[in-house]
Amino acid sequence: MTTMPVARRRRGRVMVRNTVVGLSFLLPNFTGFLLLTLVPVILLFYYAFTDWSVFGGAEWSGLDNFERMLGDSSFWTALTNTLYYAAFHIPLTLAVSLGLAMLLNRRLRGVAFFRTVAFFPYITSIVAIAQVWNMLFSPTYGPINELLRFVGVENPPGWTTSADASMPAVILVGTWRDMGYYMLLFLAGLQTIPGQLYEAAKVDGANAWQRFRAVTLPGLRPTTFFITVLLTIGSFKVFDLILVMTDGGPGQSTLVLSQYIYKKGFEENEFGYASAVSIVLFAICFLVTIVQFLVNKRRSE
Amino acid sequence: MKRSIAAVLGAATALSLVLSGCGGGGDDADETGPLTLSLAGWSLSTTPEFKTLADGFHTANPDITVELKEYDATNYDTQMIADLAAGKAPDVYVQKNLKNFYTYQDGKQLLDVSDIAGSLGANVGGLSAYQVDGKTWAIPYRQDSWVLYYNKALFDKAGVKQPDGSWTWDDYAAAAKELTTKLKGAGDKALGTYQHTWQSTVQSFALAQTAGASLESGDFSYLKPYYERSLDLQNAGAQVKLGDATTNSLTYQAQFGKQQSAMLVMGSWYMATLRSQQTSGDADKFEWGIAPAPQQTKATTGTAAVPVTFADPTGLGINPKVSDRKAEAAKKFLAYAAGVDAAKSLAGIGITPADSAAVTDTFFQLDGIPQDDLSKFAFATHDTKPENPVGKYTAGLQNVLNDLHTAVLSGATPIDQAITEAQDRAKNEVLSK
Repeated sequence: MTTMPVARRRRGRVMVRNTVVGLSFLLPNFTGFLLLTLVPVILLFYYAFTDWSVFGGAEWSGLDNFERMLGDSSFWTALTNTLYYAAFHIPLTLAVSLGLAMLLNRRLRGVAFFRTVAFFPYITSIVAIAQVWNMLFSPTYGPINELLRFVGVENPPGWTTSADASMPAVILVGTWRDMGYYMLLFLAGLQTIPGQLYEAAKVDGANAWQRFRAVTLPGLRPTTFFITVLLTIGSFKVFDLILVMTDGGPGQSTLVLSQYIYKKGFEENEFGYASAVSIVLFAICFLVTIVQFLVNKRRSE
Repeated sequence: MKRSIAAVLGAATALSLVLSGCGGGGDDADETGPLTLSLAGWSLSTTPEFKTLADGFHTANPDITVELKEYDATNYDTQMIADLAAGKAPDVYVQKNLKNFYTYQDGKQLLDVSDIAGSLGANVGGLSAYQVDGKTWAIPYRQDSWVLYYNKALFDKAGVKQPDGSWTWDDYAAAAKELTTKLKGAGDKALGTYQHTWQSTVQSFALAQTAGASLESGDFSYLKPYYERSLDLQNAGAQVKLGDATTNSLTYQAQFGKQQSAMLVMGSWYMATLRSQQTSGDADKFEWGIAPAPQQTKATTGTAAVPVTFADPTGLGINPKVSDRKAEAAKKFLAYAAGVDAAKSLAGIGITPADSAAVTDTFFQLDGIPQDDLSKFAFATHDTKPENPVGKYTAGLQNVLNDLHTAVLSGATPIDQAITEAQDRAKNEVLSK
């Protein structure tokens, strides 16, 4: 009769101890997250409603920043450009990385080498990538335009120096850089699809395209969903590539939201307004992700 | 097990103490004895001016040591603003250019130094840029100005008459085209001139030399003739196109130093660089000289007139958070840095001090600096307007105008349309604040 509470108390003590140990393991990471991410993000929501130029206090200005955004043509340009980038970068990267993954998911001599090669762009410094691609894209002396002229294109595009071709050029490089990483995720996904399914499909007389549609794609759905979410957030937040490759130019042709935030905040010291634009960017990422979650949920049911 | 929990908790406590305890620096309350001032600088290994000033001042005032704190050159203002906001900035910090001076001054991050300004000689250039509401907030120690560099060897090879100080921009453009053609005829691939990618290479001359032009007017029509000339030179092949310069990350040091162009319009700081690069082999060895920057009209050309050019002064400001005793020492340091002794030491390492007329002789004693009279004239005589006129809207307007610069010179937007767009943006996004 008396042994029960003792055992329960002991179990309780073990639980407390385990929790403390668990938390202490979390602590180093969580402290960093708390100080460097969570607190600044919470503060951001406050600063978005203020007028603040770093020095002195932030003055509460209500919805002024958001009203100003409505009439700010540069903000709209940045938003349009960001959507433009995302609209092409996401499907293109998905298609290329899935294609690469399928290609490198078979028994092939030297497959490890090719997988490594495809992954290289991702681990290369973004500054180096931008410099090299800029040289490749150079309108007068760049190899890409030399090639185009060689095959008979009379007026090859000016790439990063022309208002119309600069965004496609940046999207191309962005896709080239990201494909290796997402290929790796797709490869992992492909390996979880049981081989029997393909065999069964073959026995039923399905051709390669049918097997892809009926076996590969459904089998990859969780992976594809995960990658789409990552890619979407990544595309909306694109910053480093554009900053070093075109710096938003020529004119404002490649100005994206994150760069606009940087310019307003760190170059013009309008931290209140920059915070407000950040919140819009945050809201866009948040909304798109929720929609994707809902779509994914409905499909899996 | 018990001990390990204690260890983990102990480590966690220690960590939180470290994290929360990194504020609170010690302030030396000693009223006498030696004192240490901290001074902000950038790229210390390649920018010797800060150490020259610090050492020179210490020799004159053995009680006060000036310690340097290094910042990143390109992100200097961003880092300095963050440090000032966090209360961790050095006692004395440099105003690298005028673009952010308003931010510092308006943000009350500068100590009033009017008393030192009053004691300085009349020849110290750039002082007026730091004056707001009748008070002075920083003291210039360095005043560059933009001049025309030319390669005498390439001019001779092409058989083109060298600059004589009488050039307007049209003369300059004609010479650039003539040089390109004749150099090609002589089998040399060098172009007539090189215009670097910065917006200032076009816009700041237009702003400085056009009567009545101002950034804050929001009327940018004064830029038009200057852009038309640049576009004309680009299209004629007399200078590298902006797009080729940016995509290939061209540097002006290599373009002029490796004799890819016969002329270069650049700030006077490049004299020291070119001289040392010719010694180290990073630049070819050839005879060069400087001439006054080309002018808008004949009225300001010739050695009897004062050529109009531009460049921001570089100044020193005092962090208002310093103790009274440190503020006294810091003011002494500012007065020293703008004085003749410091000017001479700066000239000795190839820097253009704020009082450049006083040190022309010292400067031209340096090895590898041209000795002709026109170079000396160009070094000592100029009406130097600020690149970034101090004002609330300067940073925002310069960003709008930088977009105009890349849009026009890349050929993406015609000049008239670009000016209209920039004016609209200036009005709606910047001047309406």
